[in-house]
Amino acid sequence: MSTIDLSALTAREVRRGIASGDFSAREVAESAYARIEALDGEVHAFLQLTPELAFAAADRVDRARAAGEELPPLAGVPAGIKDNMNLIGTRTTCASRILGNYESVYDCTAVSRLLEAGALPIGKCNMDEFAFGSSTENSAYGPTRNPWDLERVPGGSSGGSAACVAAGMASISLGSDTGGSIRQPGALTGTVGLKPTYGRVSRYGVVAFGSSLDQIGPFGKTVDDVALALEAISGADVMDATSSVEPVDPYSEALGRGAQGLRVGIVSDMLAMEGCGEEIRRVVNSSAETFAALGAEVGEVELPSAQHGLAAYYIIGPAEASSNLARFDGIRYGRRVPDADDVLDLYMRSRAEGFGPETIRRIMLGTYALSAGYYDAYYGQAQKARTRIIQDFRAAFERFDVLLTPSTPEVAFRFGEKSDPYTMYLNDYYTIPVNLAGNCAVSVPSGLCTTAGMPMGLQIIGDYFAESTLLRAAAAFEEATHFEPVPPLVRALTGTEGGE
Amino acid sequence: MAKDRLAEVLERYEAVIGLEIHTEITATNTKMFCGCPVAFGGEPNTRVCPVCLGLPGALPVPNQAAIEWTVLAGLATDCDIALWSQFHRKQYFYPDMPKDYQISQYDLPFCSGGLLEVEVDGDGVAQRVDLGGGVAAVGPEAVADDGGYRTTIGITRIHLEEDTGKMVHVGGSEGRIAGATHSLVDFNRAGTPLMELVSEPDIRTPEEARRFAQKLRSIWLALGVSDCSMEEGSMRVDGNVSIRRRGESELGTKSEVKNMNSFKSLHDALAYEIVRQADLLDAGDRVVQETRHWDAGAKRTSALRSKEEAHDYRYFPEPDMVPFSFDPEWIDSLAERLPELPDARRARYMTELSLRKHDAGLLSADFAQACFFEEAVAIAGAARAKPVANWMLGDLAALLNAEGIELPESRVSPAMLAELVGLVEDGMISGKQAKEVFGDMAASGDAPGAIVEARGMRQVSDTEAIESVVRGVLEANPVEVASYRAGKTGLIGFFVGAVMREMRGQGNPKVINEVLTRMLSG
Ligand SMILES: [Zn+2]
Repeated sequence: MSTIDLSALTAREVRRGIASGDFSAREVAESAYARIEALDGEVHAFLQLTPELAFAAADRVDRARAAGEELPPLAGVPAGIKDNMNLIGTRTTCASRILGNYESVYDCTAVSRLLEAGALPIGKCNMDEFAFGSSTENSAYGPTRNPWDLERVPGGSSGGSAACVAAGMASISLGSDTGGSIRQPGALTGTVGLKPTYGRVSRYGVVAFGSSLDQIGPFGKTVDDVALALEAISGADVMDATSSVEPVDPYSEALGRGAQGLRVGIVSDMLAMEGCGEEIRRVVNSSAETFAALGAEVGEVELPSAQHGLAAYYIIGPAEASSNLARFDGIRYGRRVPDADDVLDLYMRSRAEGFGPETIRRIMLGTYALSAGYYDAYYGQAQKARTRIIQDFRAAFERFDVLLTPSTPEVAFRFGEKSDPYTMYLNDYYTIPVNLAGNCAVSVPSGLCTTAGMPMGLQIIGDYFAESTLLRAAAAFEEATHFEPVPPLVRALTGTEGGE
Repeated sequence: MAKDRLAEVLERYEAVIGLEIHTEITATNTKMFCGCPVAFGGEPNTRVCPVCLGLPGALPVPNQAAIEWTVLAGLATDCDIALWSQFHRKQYFYPDMPKDYQISQYDLPFCSGGLLEVEVDGDGVAQRVDLGGGVAAVGPEAVADDGGYRTTIGITRIHLEEDTGKMVHVGGSEGRIAGATHSLVDFNRAGTPLMELVSEPDIRTPEEARRFAQKLRSIWLALGVSDCSMEEGSMRVDGNVSIRRRGESELGTKSEVKNMNSFKSLHDALAYEIVRQADLLDAGDRVVQETRHWDAGAKRTSALRSKEEAHDYRYFPEPDMVPFSFDPEWIDSLAERLPELPDARRARYMTELSLRKHDAGLLSADFAQACFFEEAVAIAGAARAKPVANWMLGDLAALLNAEGIELPESRVSPAMLAELVGLVEDGMISGKQAKEVFGDMAASGDAPGAIVEARGMRQVSDTEAIESVVRGVLEANPVEVASYRAGKTGLIGFFVGAVMREMRGQGNPKVINEVLTRMLSG
């Protein structure tokens, strides 16, 4: 068996290779597991591997090819799935002790659409417990390490989904983004991470964190791979009343049209944020120059209400989360203390023992914010701020097609470095306003920082359901920068293996 | 508890009652937020899915039909229909609630500000001592030729929510939680569309409360929104009741009474509660705000839980659904779908079919009964509506009651009843014979005509034949004939009986009467 270096191939190339008979889907799956075998002991991107499902899917692809059938768009593409998405035949733990043994009994719509498109489900990816966090340090099963530097976090909450793509254990993956949980780990691991417009992708089957903020989205090594995956998972779903009937564009076809004539706005007031690293700020400015060189009209824009995003988010997100997580009560499924005195004792101890500290913190924040006498001061005010942010974005998109900010104020930090929650929360300063407004945004690798050698990410923000424009801009930028990040860990491995 | 005890209390205290009426929308095929079927009973946890079990990641999708039914219910009770509405989450932990929050409505219910007119008949007036115990002092609210009165009860709101599952407590007595060793949960009912109607505290007596609930049920049945079974719990009435001294305007502390599984329970529980509160106040104690459970067997309420530690439900807008924006034209189109409601039906029975108000009211209040009645009248002819009504409210009602069945389950069909009425009205059989035929057809399901044939019951109406029998009877009873002619006209019954016996019950009583009167006076 020849091992295929998944770091060297895009998802599109994997499919093409299978279609043209260069290798089989089974060999692709074997290569993914070989890479996992080699690296995941250290990286810990996966909580559960699902070789039975992956090889069954691979064999279906290989049989289809043998039968001369047209292969689906993601045929044989190995994919990681964040562990908050249901898939029959897997546990869906949300990286929490409370769901440690929870077996899915139905499929998440986005996951089944990805698999219908031919993707191979390699395994379930590590995450911050219930998606609360920006580092995967809040996983009850131990953190994921950044393939670029094992001493550093991969970001979060979709840290495992980002790391598995960065390390070539999968070509693409699915994450979920409530306040930056795709874009931030994307930036920190040198991968492309997309948060679609709210309603673009069905939320059915992803364990809810903030129902009005959550979106499932793809990770990939390239903008094209992300566009392919988005095409597969998007579209209306009768099981999700907030999914949109807006038609799904052939996103990958919008790529390659360059940035000529695009109106690109740098969000200048956000860029001036105090905690933003100097180099990161410089890179955003040089990215704008790149766009200008590509023929885009570049200007500056302000989103004055966005500075209230973090505060509003830490009311609305926890409020919804406190409600969504109430169901984990030990009655119907999940962890239950065996020796409860009565039902109240059962609730309190099952939850106290089942949830980690950050989860408990968010539940308490949200419960407090919704309590009688506080609702108006907290939840009501936060909703007002949210409305203002929406208006700011709306105004900005009257002048611009896409907006630019850093994805994160800084590159990946070391484990334990952000010990107080607020500093950790600041990491999502740039991404949160987009979830509050509901539009789409993508983080694209924009280079390595000179001091730590860690990847940086450019956040490109698009209007509602303007994923075509967004991805077109992202692809133009990607092409112009020629930046193809491969972590040293992977380079060392493929070097010793003599892989291509 | 004696009735006069309530009357005595109500002389000194005024009761203030508001009702909360939950009605399951059984007209929809599926649950409120998922595709599971709506039904009663069944093997536990067989009508469930990820959504109504609250599994991780499952999402609610609103049932459009249930929303339409709720709007119809609002239109039928003179409510304003919101053009902008929304679901909220009502949060509290309980094992029968899969998500530990209930999707309900908060400040933007589908319907609000409705009215229901309630009539209380002569017997119920006694509970309104403020009305002077009679019609004289009733003022503008009064009707009524039967000594009753009419009053209007406000409807605060009707909103839509999802029902909970059901707890089964094992090991205790009567399935109560006290003494139970463990509890089981059945989620078959979880997610059933549930309309909650909240009345204004406009109700002053247990009788008005009963009438309100009955009237509402008759409207829901006419709409077809629910089967409204209080026994099976598809219609559940809770009451908030407080009392205050007559003449005072400040409200007293209320208690909430639950588990009233029949209209009688509703009346009796509220009456009990009013007297209980009066006893407390009379003794110088205070009423505690709490939820109380009605025990129909023991005829008393007992404290269920204290509301002192008031629930904070932490309502917030349901983020899994977008708000609803209703087009006024859509609401108008629903209004056109409204069927004839009980009040209009009653008026029509009175004007077009000349029924007495009482009978018209009884027949129109029960939708199944009204349908049966109208079908029978369509066959028998409008001129015979009265005897059809009499049969239905008399023998047929008694029969159903005795057998403990509902009208649709009876062997008697509208066509059969119409035929029976025809036989009587055409003088083919006597009223007495008709009763026999009715009993026979109710038992066998045979057509009345066939029964009459088989029993050889055809009634003799031939005047000559009857005259010859009468002649014989008069000849055989000369003393009685003399007495009659001397003024003891009450003896007519004696002669009728004698003639009937001679004719083995097959003589037409009307003709017999005529012939007897003529021949006795001649
Ligand atoms: Zn269901």
